[in-house]
Amino acid sequence: MNISGRADYTVEIGTHSLELSPRTTIKTLCYNGEAPGPLIRLQSGKLVTIDVVNQSSNDEVVHWHGLFLPSNIDGATEEGTPLIGRGGRASYTFTPDPAGFRWYHTHTFAGHDLNKGQYTGQHGFLYIDPRENAGRYDAEVFLGLHDWRGQLLAADDGSMNPFYDVSTINGRVLGFGEPLRVKQGQRVLLHILNSSATDAHWVALTGHHFEVVALDGNAVPSPKSVTMLRLAPAERVSAIVEMNNPGVWVLGEVRKHIRAAGMGIVIEYAEKNGEPQWQQPETLVWDYAQFAAAPVAPAANGEAVELPLVFRSKFTGHGDMDHWTINGKSYPHTDKLILKQGQRYRLLFKNESSDDHPVHLHRHLFELCELPGERSTRGILKDTVLVPANQQVNVEFVANNPGATLFHCHQQDHMDMGFMMLFQYA
Amino acid sequence: MGGLALCVLPLFAQGNYEIQVYGADTVAPGTTMVELHSNFTAQGQRYVIDGVYPTYHQEHETLEITQGINDWAEVGFYVFTSEQNGHGVQWVGDHIRPRVRVPNSWHWPVGVSLSTEIGYQRPQYSPDTWTWELRPIIDKAIDRWYFAFNPALERTWHGPDVRQGLGFAPAAKVSYDFTKEVSGGIEYYADYGRLFYFDSLHEQQQQFFAASDLNVSPDWEINVGIGLGATASTDHLIIKGIIGRRFSWHKASPVD
Repeated sequence: MNISGRADYTVEIGTHSLELSPRTTIKTLCYNGEAPGPLIRLQSGKLVTIDVVNQSSNDEVVHWHGLFLPSNIDGATEEGTPLIGRGGRASYTFTPDPAGFRWYHTHTFAGHDLNKGQYTGQHGFLYIDPRENAGRYDAEVFLGLHDWRGQLLAADDGSMNPFYDVSTINGRVLGFGEPLRVKQGQRVLLHILNSSATDAHWVALTGHHFEVVALDGNAVPSPKSVTMLRLAPAERVSAIVEMNNPGVWVLGEVRKHIRAAGMGIVIEYAEKNGEPQWQQPETLVWDYAQFAAAPVAPAANGEAVELPLVFRSKFTGHGDMDHWTINGKSYPHTDKLILKQGQRYRLLFKNESSDDHPVHLHRHLFELCELPGERSTRGILKDTVLVPANQQVNVEFVANNPGATLFHCHQQDHMDMGFMMLFQYA
Repeated sequence: MGGLALCVLPLFAQGNYEIQVYGADTVAPGTTMVELHSNFTAQGQRYVIDGVYPTYHQEHETLEITQGINDWAEVGFYVFTSEQNGHGVQWVGDHIRPRVRVPNSWHWPVGVSLSTEIGYQRPQYSPDTWTWELRPIIDKAIDRWYFAFNPALERTWHGPDVRQGLGFAPAAKVSYDFTKEVSGGIEYYADYGRLFYFDSLHEQQQQFFAASDLNVSPDWEINVGIGLGATASTDHLIIKGIIGRRFSWHKASPVD
């Protein structure tokens, strides 16, 4: 369907039945009848028009996650992007930037309704091809991690948290659907997205390593081979896998109960068959710092203005989700930070809660500067970073994209319960 | 957690051994819950009736051990004891209590479980020596409020009330979370007598407890309360306390 008659892509929001497994079919909102939605592949710097048609019974909005877009089309109502009413349509024309692995998803309030917002199937891959392709690989595969059929249950922290029945890769449980077929000697570039509303995921591929080349779509200074990946909600990892161990393997969640809930996919070499093999890792391992540039002197591009942001929880009953504050206030009462164009800022994320928080800055990239344990780091550009419980992470960014800019925890339950803040340009 | 409620034992021999309104959750698999219920009857029945000791100034200590079987079943064991001037420390009886609950995957809007409890108590403490209880459990937490309802049915298998048939002994709880650690509210325990043919109010047992739960850790369960009898047949003043600790038998692994 081409709404405007000139759209390069059309995204239709509607309710569809998705067969996650032979035993589980769910009715959910998704894009173009599938979850993940269709891959939108754009050329860096080449003007594009995307139409969005809302066939759902909710007002909706689509956020283009990781792109440098004007506030009125970035896809957050808090920034000024209009909602698309029920039965309505919108047309977005923009020049895609920056190049790399991005994604698009709903950005609406869910609250206590775990059939709305990011709990649904409203997410899809978006890739902006660079003008010059620097990578060397033989095949490129997009994998999306998602959790389904959530419900609020009492958690050990004394409050209600979402728990899920089913977890999938590309909308299918492990063993259901087509395996990923590869050939010996291939270098396969995996673009992995965690679109879960609330949960971080660790993934491993038995018998293989991941050479991590990009985080959140941005090339890392020091690509490194690792045995497992961790992706917090909204994070992406691009990694090359050398297919050098013929067999039938499982790429899946490292934690047993989530893999048992379905999060996995079979990797099948040509002319190999048999039961997919899985070797259980004993620990969870991940560290952003291993992909950083060699230690260098602090950034030379001007003095960064420090902005401390303190995250705390607010208990509202054992029968409710915690509420959240940034510097003591919950959205929409959080302070509006005023940015000066061209200024470099250092955001001090002080997590004084017992939950991890994958915090996301819209319309900008930031550079990781200091990780827990006072470890300095440089060169890793991201739009989402996980701030561990009771730890501090510092990042820097340049205010170079005027307009209202939303900052929030990407856990749907946290952002719904106040963990958001708006940055404004002076 | 829950257990044998107030009124398994019949008139003039209240079962003040485990005074607790059940929640619907069960103990996790591979986990054992050990609880000590301490109940002191400050004002109660003062006379020996039909060979049953008076409850006045009885101190009851009940050990409850509950083992999680899977994520929807558990089984509990009880050892009831009583201490009283002139009688010393006495073993009262033992019960076993299997329980199942509606699994989370059913997505029910309220917690629901069903326990059944079978056991023996010595005739000096209850004329009905073998009893059986079927206890449906419904609970719900809404914001700071917690509601639980246990419409229990009881049956005597051996003793004077064997012909009574099913007795109805409901219990209920409403509490409010003042803070993350401290909740307080009202617990209600009753025995109305035979199902559909309730005793007169005078002969019913009804008791209200002002109770508080201290949520200091997911591993610990602490409940204290003071109860007032609302009918002539009920012990008039009871002080209760529960302390419980969960023990996990498998080494926690980050990849589980």
